Amino acid sequence: MRVGRRWLCRLAATGVLVVAVPAWGQADTARAERQIKAAFLYKFLGFVEWPPEAFERGDAPLQVGLFGADALADELALVAQRRQVNGRPVQVRKLRAGEPPTALHALFVGRAEPASGALMAQARRQPLLLLLGDSEDAIAQGAAISFAVVDDKVRFDVAPLAADQAGLKISSRLMAVARRVVMP
Amino acid sequence: MAAAWPCTGQAAELASLADLSIEELADVQITSVSRRGERLADAAASVYVITAEALQRAGATSLPQALRLAPNLQVAQVDAGQYAISARGFNNAIGNKLLVLIDGRTVYTPFFSGVFWDQQDLLLEDVERIEVISGPGATLWGANAVNGVINVITKAAGQTQGTLLLAAGGNREQVLGARYGGTVGPGHFRLYAKRSVVQNTRDAAGTPRPDGRERTQVGWRSDWRVDRDAFVLEGAAYRGESDVTSAGALPLGPIETEGAHLLARWTRDWADGANLRVQAYYDHTRRDEPLLYRPEEDIADVELQHALPWGVHRLVWGGGYRQAQDRLRPGLFFAFVPERRTSDWYNVFLQDQLALTPSLDLTLGAKLEHNDFTGTEPLPTARLAWKAGDDQLLWAAWSRAVRSPARLDRDIRFPAQPLPGYGYYIAGGPGFVAEVANVTELGWRGRLGRDVTASLTLFHHRWDRLRSGQTPPNAQVQNMIEGRTFGAEGWVGWQVARHWRLSGGFTALRELLHVKPGSSDPTGPSALGNDPDLQASLRSTHELAPDHELELGVRRVGALPDPKVPGYTAVDLRYGWQVRPGCTLSLVGLNLFDPRHVEYGGTLGVSEIPRSVQLQARWSL
Repeated sequence: MRVGRRWLCRLAATGVLVVAVPAWGQADTARAERQIKAAFLYKFLGFVEWPPEAFERGDAPLQVGLFGADALADELALVAQRRQVNGRPVQVRKLRAGEPPTALHALFVGRAEPASGALMAQARRQPLLLLLGDSEDAIAQGAAISFAVVDDKVRFDVAPLAADQAGLKISSRLMAVARRVVMP
Repeated sequence: MAAAWPCTGQAAELASLADLSIEELADVQITSVSRRGERLADAAASVYVITAEALQRAGATSLPQALRLAPNLQVAQVDAGQYAISARGFNNAIGNKLLVLIDGRTVYTPFFSGVFWDQQDLLLEDVERIEVISGPGATLWGANAVNGVINVITKAAGQTQGTLLLAAGGNREQVLGARYGGTVGPGHFRLYAKRSVVQNTRDAAGTPRPDGRERTQVGWRSDWRVDRDAFVLEGAAYRGESDVTSAGALPLGPIETEGAHLLARWTRDWADGANLRVQAYYDHTRRDEPLLYRPEEDIADVELQHALPWGVHRLVWGGGYRQAQDRLRPGLFFAFVPERRTSDWYNVFLQDQLALTPSLDLTLGAKLEHNDFTGTEPLPTARLAWKAGDDQLLWAAWSRAVRSPARLDRDIRFPAQPLPGYGYYIAGGPGFVAEVANVTELGWRGRLGRDVTASLTLFHHRWDRLRSGQTPPNAQVQNMIEGRTFGAEGWVGWQVARHWRLSGGFTALRELLHVKPGSSDPTGPSALGNDPDLQASLRSTHELAPDHELELGVRRVGALPDPKVPGYTAVDLRYGWQVRPGCTLSLVGLNLFDPRHVEYGGTLGVSEIPRSVQLQARWSL
């Protein structure tokens, strides 16, 4: 067969190319996941409507607090550094255990800390505060938006009623992208 | 094409994730972020992305049908299996100014620099996205990326695990497909098979045309990752056969097609945002078209691309080598002299994306590509992108692109045998050189309010040395057409409500081409393509209930000037019902309110494209 030998040669060359490559280093998927979540947190702010009384001035910053997620807070600060949300700068604050969630527009509660549950319970009663969680059960604990990692992708669930009770409005586009829209 | 439109450095990479739309962000694979050297929304080019979801919602069963979803492409169905597909004009069934890649493998046929669309297929359920770039992409993709690039990217094997069964049947075609995905060692694989049978079309008199066909393809893809190295090994083989064609009363036999390919790719990512990609493939195709020609080609291709951040610069450099060995046996009409030829292409390129200010990026690049016919062709580009706000990008670009000569331009003979004492009627031109385009583009892409995204591009192409003919007999192929084409293309997506999305797009094109003085070309620019002035489309995607979705598409294509084809409006509809998780039934109607229409004229008989109704079932286990 005319092409037979050439086929074999090229197949062999391809094989060598694939096998001869050494491998080293560490893939940092945890960091990648944080980067995506930071981008999401920044994006969420643009799809939620706070009433004017939530701000002192028209260009007052959006205050975002993060608890139990310092590394994510660093990533978010990096994202927010050079950009605004609807004309407002974004200020990122790391919350410590026991610190009350005051003077915040959004609060993200990480799942790792023992105090997370108590903070969620405290924050869910607070008007004009967008409560964000990091696990599937965060919605049940009162979060309006919560992450879920599915098939190597970061997705999120939305509970519009939780936002509604806080006096906030979530855009329909955000709900269209959500993995689940949870209605009680 | 990793790093095809790279951004600058690590911080910019992180920032770029935040610039993705919320829809795009939800689709980002965590394991792919570290090697994410590109970002289409930042690209200073006219880029439309057909997503996997859009493909599913439209109910497309073949690649050309899927491409109808891109508003910046012109897709005209010639007959049951042949399509004329192009961007920014010059559309014909042997269109030669568009570069089409499937998973990094160039699928245009070197002997005529075009794509045999009836030879390209895959399981559309495996497609992750199709990037459609209208306008030149020559600096990174090379010669022939003159008017556009279509980049079909399939899902990694890890995303297609388990069993999937597909069946579709209707008045126009029957399709069966199956896929199985599993794990092997540290990686994943999938195997698939697809068989399709397309019914013949009829001409205006109602006489069946011999274009019905059947086709079977099997293939696989395997992916594995070792730390920062990712490997892909994939391949496929197919065979197709049409109805028996004939010349008048003389039956000639069916058009037979077959092919196989094998591709390997290694990608390495470094923490600083640098990445390296090495790819090699082998591709064999054979086409037995008794009336026209009977080409057989073997292509080997190796390429390397390295992207690295360097201060405010991001450099991408690389090179490639490609060899095609062909044997173009004569058909009844055409022959190629010599019948066999080995052609080589090699190239090197360098591109620098420079952050002039945090919001202003300048990209300068050039490729030098060598071909056997005309030597080295320089393919430079300069692009400027200005991020005017959080979700606003203004860009301008200038590029030089060429369509390098193919054997069709140089070696073709008509008729296949010289007439005694008379010679050939038409012959390839030994002096045929590359067709050249100097392209200027201006674009805007951004968000209007919270729920609307839009893109608008204005373009101007100045052409020289386009292919022309002479008055037969003994006519030779020459480069005696010049002129310019210009126009606009744009699209809008609007999330009207949570369950309802509207999207629309248009292209407008003017072609001012003329034969240069001194040429005896009897046909003129109409031989280069037959394009509508205007094309527009509107799609509505509606989730009626959690398990029910309705997609409605309307497409208006203006009249074609020469040969004259009337304009048409086609209405497509798909109703999808998820019977239970993993099992979906859908009803697809194409061209619903029109029993039949012509989309493209032909010299050997014109096919009317009829209404199509199809029931589809998809079952994942």
